[in-house]
Amino acid sequence: MRTLMLVVLLACAATSAVDAQGDPDSDAASKIVAMEHVWAQAYMAKDPRALARILDDAFVCVASDGKLMTKAQVMGDVKTSTALQILTESMVVHMHGDTAIVMGTFRTRGVEHGKPYARRERFVDTWLNKNGQWVSLTTMVTLTAE
Amino acid sequence: MRATGWLLIFACAALLLAHAQEEVEGGSTRTILAVEQAWSEAEARGDKRTLDRIFDNAVVYIEDGSLLTKGECLLRLRSAGSHLRQIEAGTALVHIFGSTAIVVGTYREIGVNDGKTVLRRWRFIDTWVNKKGSWVLVAAGSAPLIR
Repeated sequence: MRTLMLVVLLACAATSAVDAQGDPDSDAASKIVAMEHVWAQAYMAKDPRALARILDDAFVCVASDGKLMTKAQVMGDVKTSTALQILTESMVVHMHGDTAIVMGTFRTRGVEHGKPYARRERFVDTWLNKNGQWVSLTTMVTLTAE
Repeated sequence: MRATGWLLIFACAALLLAHAQEEVEGGSTRTILAVEQAWSEAEARGDKRTLDRIFDNAVVYIEDGSLLTKGECLLRLRSAGSHLRQIEAGTALVHIFGSTAIVVGTYREIGVNDGKTVLRRWRFIDTWVNKKGSWVLVAAGSAPLIR
């Protein structure tokens, strides 16, 4: 009986996995999550080149102090990044056709003016499928409790 | 000569298409700004029914480090309504990307806390998606403007 249940469970799990693979929303969400990780890597490597493809030309960012930044300003910010480690804790993607909303939290550790810092931030990003390519339109970041 | 004629026809068609596109985007921009205004007014008077129409069921909102769902936004309205007095719209810039729109702007919130008038300025980003002919809010966030 136990063996039968296990077989049924495994069959269900396999079916779900296949369904998830074939689901266009699931595929898109996976791609977007991967690009979110590339974004974080760009900050740690101080390399804005990867961001050039990810961020739309009309991209805007609102930081936790209310500062508004364009794509060019964010790419400049990456070059002078003080982050040594960016650890994404959670990410959830909501699909709305050609638009995707990603929300999550991440922890940043770095050194600024010779002093180490650690902070936890929450973000909401908007992605758009433009001619088959997902690009980020906005990001909003806010400091959150440890 | 015939080639010049065709070129002129194509140029005119392109101009007409561009004009039509501008008309559509202009209309969407006006609609979105009107819905933004309706949202502010509904929030100030605690009108949950209007907000229920404006917010998508999957809307997410971040502010001061917190993430709120639609239910939490509507629930918060009841408690905030007691001290929130007025929301004054500042600048608002709309970018249309087909059935997706981004609004970036500022607003002032005037409220009362412990009997004192409190004024806060915020910057926001709102994401709207056109679903079945209506623009609905799918994501929003505000950050206090620190000078």
